[in-house]
Amino acid sequence: MDPECSQLLPALCAVLADPRQPMADDTCLEKLLDWFKTITEAGSSLLLLQENPCLVELLCHMLKPQDLSSRVLSFSLRLTGVFAAQEDCFQYLQQGELLPRLFGEAGPLGGAAWTAPTVRSGWIQGLRSLARHPSALHFLADCGAVDTIFSLQGDSSLFVASAAGQLLVHILGLSMQGPADGPPSLQAGDWPACAKKIVGHIEESLRSTATPQITQALNVLTTTFGHCHDPWTRVLWVRLSPLVAGLLEKDPVPAAHSLVDLLLSVARSPGLSSSSCGLWETLAQTLSRLSPTQAGPLALGILKLQDCPQALRAQAFAVLLQPLACVLKATAQAPGASGVLDGTVGDFATVDTLLPSKAACVGLLCRTLAHLELLLPLPQRPCPWPQAPLLGAAVTLLQLCQGSASPTSDTGHHLCALLLGCVRVQRAALDFLGTLSQGTGPPELVTEVFAVLLEYLRSPDSSPTVLKKAFQATFRWLLSSPKTPGCWDLDPQALLFLRELLPVLQKRLCSPCWEVRDSGLEFLTQMTGRWGGQAGFRHALLASEVPKLTEQLLRDPESYVRASAVAATGQLSSQGLCISPASPEHPGGQQKSPLSELLHILSTDSEGFPRRAAMHVFTQWLRDSHADVVGDTEEFVAGVLQVASQDLDWEVRAQGLELALVFLEQTLGQPGSPCPYAVTPPVVAPACPLAQALQPLCRVRLFEFAFRALFDCDRPVAQKSCDLLLFLRAKMASSSSPQEARSSPDVASVEAALQRWQAGDQAQPLGDLEPEVVLAVLKSMDLEGLRGALAESSDHVEKSPQSLLQDMLATVGILGENEADCY
Amino acid sequence: MPEIRVTPLGAGQDVGRSCILVSIAGKNVMLDCGMHMGFNDDRRFPDFSYITRNGRLTDFLDCVIISHFHLDHCGALPYFSEMVGYDGPIYMTHPTQAICPILLEDYRKIAVDKKGEANFFTSQMIKDCMKKVVAVHLHQTVQVDDELEIKAYYAGHVLGAAMFQIKVGSESVVYTGDYNMTPDRHLGAAWIDKCRPNLLITESTYATTIRDSKRCRERDFLKKVHEAVERGGKVLIPVFALGRAQELCILLETFWERMNLKAPIYFSTGLTEKANHYYKLFITWTNQKIRKTFVQRNMFEFKHIKAFDRAFADNPGPMVVFATPGMLHAGQSLQIFRKWAGNEKNMVIMPGYCVQGTVGHKILSGQRKLEMEGRQVLEVKMQVEYMSFSAHADAKGIMQLVGQAEPESVLLVHGEAKKMEFLKQKIEQEFRVNCYMPANGETVTLPTSPSIPVGISLGLLKREMAQGLLPDAKKPRLLHGTLIMKDSALKELGLVEHQLRFTCRVHLHDPRKEQETAMRVYSHLKSMLKDHCVQHLPDGSVTVESILIQAAAHSEDPGTKVLLVSWTYQDEELGSYLTSLLKKGLPQAPS
Repeated sequence: MDPECSQLLPALCAVLADPRQPMADDTCLEKLLDWFKTITEAGSSLLLLQENPCLVELLCHMLKPQDLSSRVLSFSLRLTGVFAAQEDCFQYLQQGELLPRLFGEAGPLGGAAWTAPTVRSGWIQGLRSLARHPSALHFLADCGAVDTIFSLQGDSSLFVASAAGQLLVHILGLSMQGPADGPPSLQAGDWPACAKKIVGHIEESLRSTATPQITQALNVLTTTFGHCHDPWTRVLWVRLSPLVAGLLEKDPVPAAHSLVDLLLSVARSPGLSSSSCGLWETLAQTLSRLSPTQAGPLALGILKLQDCPQALRAQAFAVLLQPLACVLKATAQAPGASGVLDGTVGDFATVDTLLPSKAACVGLLCRTLAHLELLLPLPQRPCPWPQAPLLGAAVTLLQLCQGSASPTSDTGHHLCALLLGCVRVQRAALDFLGTLSQGTGPPELVTEVFAVLLEYLRSPDSSPTVLKKAFQATFRWLLSSPKTPGCWDLDPQALLFLRELLPVLQKRLCSPCWEVRDSGLEFLTQMTGRWGGQAGFRHALLASEVPKLTEQLLRDPESYVRASAVAATGQLSSQGLCISPASPEHPGGQQKSPLSELLHILSTDSEGFPRRAAMHVFTQWLRDSHADVVGDTEEFVAGVLQVASQDLDWEVRAQGLELALVFLEQTLGQPGSPCPYAVTPPVVAPACPLAQALQPLCRVRLFEFAFRALFDCDRPVAQKSCDLLLFLRAKMASSSSPQEARSSPDVASVEAALQRWQAGDQAQPLGDLEPEVVLAVLKSMDLEGLRGALAESSDHVEKSPQSLLQDMLATVGILGENEADCY
Repeated sequence: MPEIRVTPLGAGQDVGRSCILVSIAGKNVMLDCGMHMGFNDDRRFPDFSYITRNGRLTDFLDCVIISHFHLDHCGALPYFSEMVGYDGPIYMTHPTQAICPILLEDYRKIAVDKKGEANFFTSQMIKDCMKKVVAVHLHQTVQVDDELEIKAYYAGHVLGAAMFQIKVGSESVVYTGDYNMTPDRHLGAAWIDKCRPNLLITESTYATTIRDSKRCRERDFLKKVHEAVERGGKVLIPVFALGRAQELCILLETFWERMNLKAPIYFSTGLTEKANHYYKLFITWTNQKIRKTFVQRNMFEFKHIKAFDRAFADNPGPMVVFATPGMLHAGQSLQIFRKWAGNEKNMVIMPGYCVQGTVGHKILSGQRKLEMEGRQVLEVKMQVEYMSFSAHADAKGIMQLVGQAEPESVLLVHGEAKKMEFLKQKIEQEFRVNCYMPANGETVTLPTSPSIPVGISLGLLKREMAQGLLPDAKKPRLLHGTLIMKDSALKELGLVEHQLRFTCRVHLHDPRKEQETAMRVYSHLKSMLKDHCVQHLPDGSVTVESILIQAAAHSEDPGTKVLLVSWTYQDEELGSYLTSLLKKGLPQAPS
């Protein structure tokens, strides 16, 4: 602890001990505790207490009967735990009887303060911190803490109950680590008393008829097996597995969710899953005993396991697929046509059982789709994967929701009535359909996929979120359409689809809903980025109104849409797909070029998103040597930098520097040696001397922008500029050019201007800079020092421990009546 | 019995970040999803792990409702939807939907600007989150699904703030969010109809206070600004992009106009334009006076307030500058503060709360020598003022709202424990209802009496009316009739359907033992009823579909057996047929 903090600490402890002094900011105590944790992790707690006796005094003060703030009491309990985590400090606190008086019956545990959840939470967290060594275990046993923890498992506060469970796991693990003379015997009968007590409690809970108690026991076991893989956990599981299996005999199965978590935790644990206590049988039995909704997560978990019997995997997959099998069966056009999904199909009675009411049906279907979506990308997914039936199920579900399915059976009609217009299922099915694009499908089914997607994109009933997902799924299916490996062109079928899609997109770009216009533009940007170079796509796009609408959306009232339109325009323009300024529809050149349109947005748009998007586009254009840029790169860069440097949004200024860096790299070449395996050769470094190479940078006034940005009030801008100038200086070092104006009057005036800027007076311009002057100024600057300073957060001083202590002391006595009025 | 469960993850006995989980008739709703600006790490967000352990969030939660655009009510939303993984619907009013992303973006920029903030959402995440929002109108009943509906009421407080009624069947909860029961310069007072919810969840920031009129604070503010400007000083007002800023702009604009003042007023970001646009767009949400004067002069078109350029800070002479961020913890407001702090003629007015760890917090706690970077010390000579303009209902207002809504129970959130305790007692005494104040993580469970609408036949109604008494909701009356309950009502009441069975006794002359008689009955019926399922059960009874036949000895005549026959309403025809068959006697058995 530094001396300043040491000096402030006694006063602060006095304030904390004074019940008349409320803490204004509830984060202060948390931050104070964070600080003490950092100190004790780095050094001796005992020394800390000895050097700062006020700390022990504060803790002792908590023992006096008084009207203490529950927050301060909770803090003190936690703080005590932090100190007592080190065994010597624990002994020191024990000598003063402080620990039993704080954590035992005589402490808050028996008093009125215990009614505050924050105190109970502090008590648990304090014990959690101190339980690090054998002495702590004796202490816990002596003060009867374990019994209190048992009861806190059922606390009215979720936070306290959960922490109590975690603490039990921790104590069990600690006691099984054993004393110094080796770990305890693997015979459960020989386990340490503390462990025996906890295991006994778990056993008792598992035998209980009360579901909350069973849940608590299962949760403790789940965490134990999830975190610890020591041999003793195997003994524990062997001992407890009959009790766990016994839960399956009850009807209904209690605490099903926790039971699933436990069984999966055991199955994932390498030492446990191989043990011969019938885990796989228990899992199989659980799958069949639980309701479809409860069994879903278990089935998914089983299928995610790396190593488990094939029969169990098959059973789990059948459970997962059953709801979709029912849907397919219920909507099958011809009897027998639904021989799908691995023979899991139920009869109509099963459909009624699985999907009885709307809420149950929607819930189960959404969960099933989500589980399958998670399973699909995994290497351990079932093989063969029933791609075609699943595709069929997703399409059918979407049709049922849309009302376009024509089921022939009563059950089908019933399903149709349940799902019609259900946005939840639509969203889940579209996500799933998108994920299914990773595989292929029979051509007629793929045609159906495109048809249903088009149906959704067209439908006036589709909500904005559904449309967004439909656009995403469409893009994924278009991506997956190539038939030739390695060829990314759209196939003829996809092109046909595209011709139908573009009028729909056109309509959506005119939607009154900004969310829809935005999703449409994002979709267009993605498509153009992917297929903008392909003739078929270009032809279809140019024949539509989409490019024109995109151009119009640059003036959309909603800034998010304008930003997306900027990105789309950038992409279209890169591919030469923007409507030409000299098109017959716009004679007389009234139409602006994309470059001037975007420059206009950069200079005039009242909001940051479109201006930031414009900067992204410009930087990309410069990188890609866009046709409009290469004509006169210097003029382009100068124009953009001039506007960007004046922007009020620091992110635009930062992106201005990014663009400057790209220009710098292109002018001077990449730093360091180029990669010998690079496909594209690096930009050619100039053969001319550095000073000469800097001329274009001076002409675009890049340095004035960079130097000014170095002292920007927004730290990321300054940092970016610092990086840019350091890059240039590295170039200087590697260049052999000796041309520098070491101490000319120009250099002095620039340095003076920089000093004024640093002091906050940014009014004075630099004027035209000569490369030699720039090089000289750069050499004299302490850029490394600046970079170090900028690496800190802008409020690191205010966030320092010393500042925290000062703030806490400063608020004493000035708190008014309504300090809680946050906003 | 049905129940309502409420668990605050935030705002339970604190004012940090509001996030309250409500479970009502099996539907789960999250009320607000706020952020605590006092933390730099994940502690700034509510601990969502307590709901993610229930499985997928989107499956568990039916919807999220945001009451208003303040970050302690909506700041964690992009984190929740784009990083934690909630993909369901989010409801808020139209103005909140418009303004929320501006504030989230503003705060994101500050967080990135400051650096050192971990795990924060991006601009794209804010946009993607806002695309999931479903905007609602005031008093519009919105069906979240077939069973769950919500309705927004005007809450005052800030533009677009709403109270929400959440209803499933006959059970309902009202959540107030933050509200204000007295109109202010640009907003009206909160209002709700007598909706008699099972539970009213109300904020209680000023649970023990009777607040003075905001007018006094406004007068004080103008006086202080005027004095500073008159003596040639510069006034800095650190604000967040939207909300308080517009309120103060209206004040200054009107005052400048009235007093014919010439000192320039600047707004440091380019956001005024958009903010003003929204205030114009949502004029119906402002108070009556603003709406009335809107035709003559739009209050949100500011003649005197101009965009700020960084170079202006060095201009000589007086000026007033609104600069972001509001707590002086980064960016432009901090830069201007550093420039102006050394001059005693200048003034900084903090119009809102500042968390610890900011320069705003330091100067409000009276610190005048501030350590800056590189061990430099900045001496603050400028005048420092704190003016709270926050618009919450005071104790009187809260009581007024409880009186208006007439809830069965009240639950207090968004306040300090000690103050809540006082208000809780007051509410319980005055309204004779239970009042709860759970801490974060504590669950309050309220059993609710199911209220099931009963259809009444016209005939019965007419007969009752004929007795001359008109129906009166306050005077319950006894009606005589038959009540038929269907499945849903039974389920709601937690009852099992009562099976009605018809019974009949048939006497048979048969001296054999009961079991043998039963066997004879079985054989006889088996031969007679070939199309039906006739079974002889191990306990000796015989069943035909739902019809149960048991043979018993006659108490007085050992040569007679009694057949006890019972059948359900559905099998009435078969039951009648069967009894008539048995009454005819059994065929003679071979002896």
